[in-house]
Amino acid sequence: MDLADTIRISSSGLKTQQDRLKVVAQNIANAESTGTRNGQEPYRRKTISFKNSLDRETGITMVKTDKIDVDRSAFPSKYAPNHPLADANGYILESNVNPINEMIDMREARRGYEANLDVIESSKNMLSQTINLLR
Amino acid sequence: MDATKTNVNDVLKAHMKYMSQRQGVLAHNIANIDTPRYKADDLKKVDFNKLVATNSRLEMKATAPQHLTGTLASTGASFGTEKDRNAFEVTPVGNNVVLEDQMGKVSDTNAQFQLSSSMLRKFTAMYRKASGSQQ
Repeated sequence: MDLADTIRISSSGLKTQQDRLKVVAQNIANAESTGTRNGQEPYRRKTISFKNSLDRETGITMVKTDKIDVDRSAFPSKYAPNHPLADANGYILESNVNPINEMIDMREARRGYEANLDVIESSKNMLSQTINLLR
Repeated sequence: MDATKTNVNDVLKAHMKYMSQRQGVLAHNIANIDTPRYKADDLKKVDFNKLVATNSRLEMKATAPQHLTGTLASTGASFGTEKDRNAFEVTPVGNNVVLEDQMGKVSDTNAQFQLSSSMLRKFTAMYRKASGSQQ
């Protein structure tokens, strides 16, 4: 494992954190999405998971996005009798996205992204010091 | 004493190799900061006594093509890794990478690398001066 591989590993970390941020953005954008027809479910929150896997091309283990799953928790219901999708009792189902959870996820993704960037910076320093030996 | 017979170069190069490999291991940990069930790695610390014990072992001499040379040839290609046993905290998904810890190790590695690379530079500068080139 040399320093170029180190940079590759860190950039795989950057990519996964970007994917995570994408999922967060999708959840926040759809926080208010209800179904379009009567009886249709509102937006279900998406979750993301990572895995550590061997990259066959370079022979080093890198982090990859495992799978994008959905949060199976129940939808909260809200009393809104004037809503076109309200049921007989006047309730509508809302999406199970919790903005606070999404904000925390976003902060964590950013922290991970910054950490990976710092490692790239530090590896780059080490590489340039090695090259400077020739001068 | 001449530049080809001293092993200062070799010692410094080995140190730089160790540090760049450690950088790779740490980058891997940081990339996997959110991977479920991932356990942080680190390079094994080099133990002087053990090193003396392995380096003073005699290798078998092959005097005929049918002879076996043994499997314990001391070609130190890479350093072994070990799991970080005393992690500060383990997340509910079983990940024990502590970002602060890892960043501290990265900056330590960087400083150590800088130390040996500048020593190597000074060393070659000394020989350049002795050989009469203007440097």
